[in-house]
Amino acid sequence: MFSVYKKELQSFFYTPFAYALTALFMLLFSYIFANAIAKLETTNRLMFSFTEIFYDVIIFFIFLIPIITMRTFADERKLGTEVLLMSSPLNVAKIVLGKFFANATVFLFMIAGSVLFPIVTEKNGEVVISQLICAYIGFFSWGLMFIALGMLISSFTENSITAAIIGEIVMFADLFLDDFSRTAFISQYPKLQSVLLSFAAQPRFAYFSQGFIRLSDLVFFGSAIIVLLSWTYISIERRRWNRG
Amino acid sequence: MITIENLTKYYGKNRAVNNISFTINDNEILGFLGPNGAGKSTTMNMIAGYLPMTSGKVTIFGHDITRDATNAKLELGYLPEIPPVYPDMKVTEYLSFCAGIKRIPRGKRKDEINRVMELLKITDVKGKLIRNLSKGYRQRVGFAQALLGDPKFIILDEPTVGLDPNQVVEVRKLIKSLKKDHTVIFSSHILSEVSEVCDRVVIINKGDIRAIDTIENLESTFSDSLSLHIKIKGSKSKAASIIETTEGVKEILSIDDEGNDIYSFVVQLSGDAEEIQDKLMADLLGSQIRIVEIFTEKPNLENVFIDLINRPVKKERLEDLLNEIVPETDSADDSAEDDEDEEKEDI
Repeated sequence: MFSVYKKELQSFFYTPFAYALTALFMLLFSYIFANAIAKLETTNRLMFSFTEIFYDVIIFFIFLIPIITMRTFADERKLGTEVLLMSSPLNVAKIVLGKFFANATVFLFMIAGSVLFPIVTEKNGEVVISQLICAYIGFFSWGLMFIALGMLISSFTENSITAAIIGEIVMFADLFLDDFSRTAFISQYPKLQSVLLSFAAQPRFAYFSQGFIRLSDLVFFGSAIIVLLSWTYISIERRRWNRG
Repeated sequence: MITIENLTKYYGKNRAVNNISFTINDNEILGFLGPNGAGKSTTMNMIAGYLPMTSGKVTIFGHDITRDATNAKLELGYLPEIPPVYPDMKVTEYLSFCAGIKRIPRGKRKDEINRVMELLKITDVKGKLIRNLSKGYRQRVGFAQALLGDPKFIILDEPTVGLDPNQVVEVRKLIKSLKKDHTVIFSSHILSEVSEVCDRVVIINKGDIRAIDTIENLESTFSDSLSLHIKIKGSKSKAASIIETTEGVKEILSIDDEGNDIYSFVVQLSGDAEEIQDKLMADLLGSQIRIVEIFTEKPNLENVFIDLINRPVKKERLEDLLNEIVPETDSADDSAEDDEDEEKEDI
């Protein structure tokens, strides 16, 4: 598993890929941060929980995370290297986990730079640290879930661009699932509404960003990751069986 | 020893490999010969454990490739048709990744990588990105990967495709040298290559095995059907009647009119070719027919191959014949093995 992890990291960090992605993320983050500062009403002191910022940043996740995950399995298949992995003593579960951890590491690297903003704010004002930490935990869990989702989508196709686009669509749908389920139309069917709401990640993130760590939310993200990774495993095995 | 038993593969309703069985003995190089699309790569992929089989069993030194996959895969090195290389990696990075997934102990990796690079003569490109290598080098990097960890069983799917003639010779030499302490299965559609390198050959076409034998045996099986070519100048009917009545001549296969009273006959013989040829020459000259050209054609391997792959397969059972017409949708076999395979398929 470690070999796969290392190889994946090499493919991100020995190429400009991870750096370019991080630069893009920082650019977006700075833009949102600057906007948020400008909108601030208090004149003498900066008091900041970064909640709003993270809310806005989540939207960009939808574009950034599929870029991390799109190549995961699609490229292996395209290059014919899937054969190498499958005919080696590694089992598929280890391959999936190795790749997941590598993607998670790149994601962590990407968001690590954003810590700079609270530090700067703290120097010149005040940051609600507890909320910030909670928001980061929520931010990271959500990211991991989207990574697992992106990997699953990448295992469906041979084309990484297709994987990225489908990933964006699905993640977008998930982001607005709670808005959608609160529409008047869905409200007519309370059972359907509650089912839809239970799949929505947005309200769960809201708790994190307000400084709550609820066990149920952690379980939600954790189980979503496990389900999606298992599904990825099944999808790869299934493709081998049905190939042709 | 590697045993392949009743291996069958369906892609949807298309049958790619049909119930093939053979064994590969220790320290043997087995050639796997067939035209493009014969099912060679599918079979290789199944033996290497990449593709699951629809039914059948592959055992590598006692380890079943599906049930005891990890142990079986530790014993094998596989070079697929397209070398499985990552273009963004350097040669040494790639090989050390492969060494990792093949569970070569950390301390031994460096020596092992150097050893295979020496063998394949790729040490001079070890710091280069694979993306920048030529097709021949990539092929050799893929080959080096298959030899990492010195597995006892080596599967090579068309290893010489894309190499220049010099490299082909070297790679063939390397494959021959592997025989000392490895078992090799090696696929190709180039006959001369197979006859040069392999101990035995399996000839396959459209998913069916057409022959399993040594090259010599295959040649000798077909040597009783020699054909004689005679070109004469003179009367066509007279010559034909003489040829027909000569002892040892089976039949006249064709007569071509080449103009100026020259006719060329192709005659199928049964018996000692030289004796018949001498007798025919004497008879024809005796009847004032001039012989312009006479020679017997030996069946070379090329002809044997073409003949074998085009020969219709004998159906042993009625079911097989029916399968040919109506591909079977689900296996009727009730054996536990098949059931399990199907369950996996349903996941």
